[in-house]
Amino acid sequence: MSKTVRSLLFVVVAMSLLLAACGTPATVAPTVAPAPVEPTKAPEPTAAPTEDPMAMYAPDAVTGDIITAGSSTVFPLSERMAELFQQEGYTGNITVDSIGSGAGFERFCKTGETDVANASRAIKDSEVEACAALGREPVEFRLGTDALTVVVSAENDFVTALTKEQIGKIFTGQFTKWIEVDASFPDEAILVYGPGADSGTFDYFNEVVVAPLYLKADGKADTAAGKEALLGLAGAQFSEDDNVLVQGVEGSPYAIGYFGFAYFSENSGKLKAVAVDGVEPNQSTVDDGTYPISRPLFIYSDANILKEKPQVAAFIYFYLTNVDNEISDVGYFPAPDADLQASMDAWMTATGN
Amino acid sequence: MENQHFRPLDLKKKMRLGETVIQTLLFIAGFLSIFITLAIVYELGKEAWLFFGNPDVTFAKFFGTTRWQPGIGQFGIWPLVTSTLITSFIAICVSLPLGLAAALFLSEYASPKARSTLKPILEVLAGIPTVVYGYFALLFMTPLLQGIFGEDVEVYNMLSAGLVMGIMILPLIASMSEDALSAVPRMLREGAYAMGATKYETSLQVVLPAALSGIGAALIIGISRAVGETMIVAIAAGSGPNFTFNPFKAAETMTGHIARISGGDLSYNSIDYTSLFAIAFMLFLVTLVLNLISEAIINKFRQRYE
Repeated sequence: MSKTVRSLLFVVVAMSLLLAACGTPATVAPTVAPAPVEPTKAPEPTAAPTEDPMAMYAPDAVTGDIITAGSSTVFPLSERMAELFQQEGYTGNITVDSIGSGAGFERFCKTGETDVANASRAIKDSEVEACAALGREPVEFRLGTDALTVVVSAENDFVTALTKEQIGKIFTGQFTKWIEVDASFPDEAILVYGPGADSGTFDYFNEVVVAPLYLKADGKADTAAGKEALLGLAGAQFSEDDNVLVQGVEGSPYAIGYFGFAYFSENSGKLKAVAVDGVEPNQSTVDDGTYPISRPLFIYSDANILKEKPQVAAFIYFYLTNVDNEISDVGYFPAPDADLQASMDAWMTATGN
Repeated sequence: MENQHFRPLDLKKKMRLGETVIQTLLFIAGFLSIFITLAIVYELGKEAWLFFGNPDVTFAKFFGTTRWQPGIGQFGIWPLVTSTLITSFIAICVSLPLGLAAALFLSEYASPKARSTLKPILEVLAGIPTVVYGYFALLFMTPLLQGIFGEDVEVYNMLSAGLVMGIMILPLIASMSEDALSAVPRMLREGAYAMGATKYETSLQVVLPAALSGIGAALIIGISRAVGETMIVAIAAGSGPNFTFNPFKAAETMTGHIARISGGDLSYNSIDYTSLFAIAFMLFLVTLVLNLISEAIINKFRQRYE
């Protein structure tokens, strides 16, 4: 008797679990609905007219998948825009991979796996050539500006400002102890964290901060020598994932690292931004150009992709019209209006509107 | 009486089709593992050969220098190998004594009820995903070590990764050792007790040596596991190759390096791509050598009991 009761009980429990699992999607949907209150007031098109051709690029009018990959700096921004795009009614999948600008261009130009490349640096000529071999002509869309932030731990009480030259020497191993940088600093080894060679942040840092320390015979900055010095630093920790760098710098008062401003502002409780050449990174110094290491953020696509995949065109249109509303929240700075307008014009030309 | 249908006795095995089919299938299954191993070695060797074929790479550089950065022409494998060996050594130092002690307790001292409760709980430790162990190392073990040893301990360091790897391998060694200890025939123990030995003396001086081959097998598997472990070291041990013997410092292991670099994008036939295969081949060799050494040592001390 107890055996049949027990087996019956088991069946009842199993069925109820199964039904509960099937039942949940219905209860989840209503909780999502209140969220898109904010974005609905966002689409006030800056330059786009309210004519019919734009209706085909509405988020709920397009289907299919969008594949993007590239810069870890642009990643939080792209991720936010993808989220909003989906809340507006887009039903497909948007994948955003954070693998570094160089790797992103590789996927876009050499293997053709992605529709959009995210980058925190401009595309190189060699990459444009590789794209041409695939039949792709990259179209550049400027999205915003990043203030490349050199950070130390909040526990670090001796560093507040460094010159570009001091920073370059720290990251290439010419200074190995803090006391060499300034006699008032403690006699401790400097722990260096930075992105690896796949990262656009690395390329930009090399070009602007490190390479000027290594001049070629004609007086120009030697980026190859700079790259070698950066990568050759013994004991330095490299990662394309900026969260790994955040973790590392947070953990020791003698650590120093660099990444995009968004990762700093997200962890501003545990990190401290170093003033470069006496200028701290914030909205006003980036706007008036006094912060010496700010750089543009881009996404790249191709006119054929925009025409063949209207969902990609719709996403980029949505991105360009809404980026100024979200960019400060993500942690970066808006691009100059002229550049955004140029990006929008480029979109219009590429899609044939 | 003559039997008209007399046939000479046929002693050959009678062929049954079903039996033959099953026998062939099982043979294929058994051979498959050998075949797959050989295929893996072939693939690794082929690409690693391309790496060594590159004019920038020489065996002198590979085995003689101590910096690994293929992007700028530095090809010394030692930083990765020493990091792997140090983390594995720390892991074995933690898991072997504790695992053996746990196994001894479970087989010699625990009551059957305690044994039946404790053994499944020990097995749970083996079921925890290694990525969870990795974050445990980074977010719990490292601050703990920093509290004990002070500021010398870096955020990413080999010691916390090694310790947590030891915790991960512990149930493996404990479980296999416990099986080996239980398999020792009762009469050995009874003989020892009859001679007046205490339980402690019996366990350590009679039972343990008798189970040495099983314990040795557990050790070999533990070492292989430690050397091949990826997630824990990728998260907690560091993300830059560093030639150092100081366990408080961050140093990337072979497995962690492969995981980090292949997470980005590599074009086929680039030096970075083929270097990964060279590292993997080196990893395979390190595991093989460690296994052979362990087996040789075990065989030397093995007892055969009848």
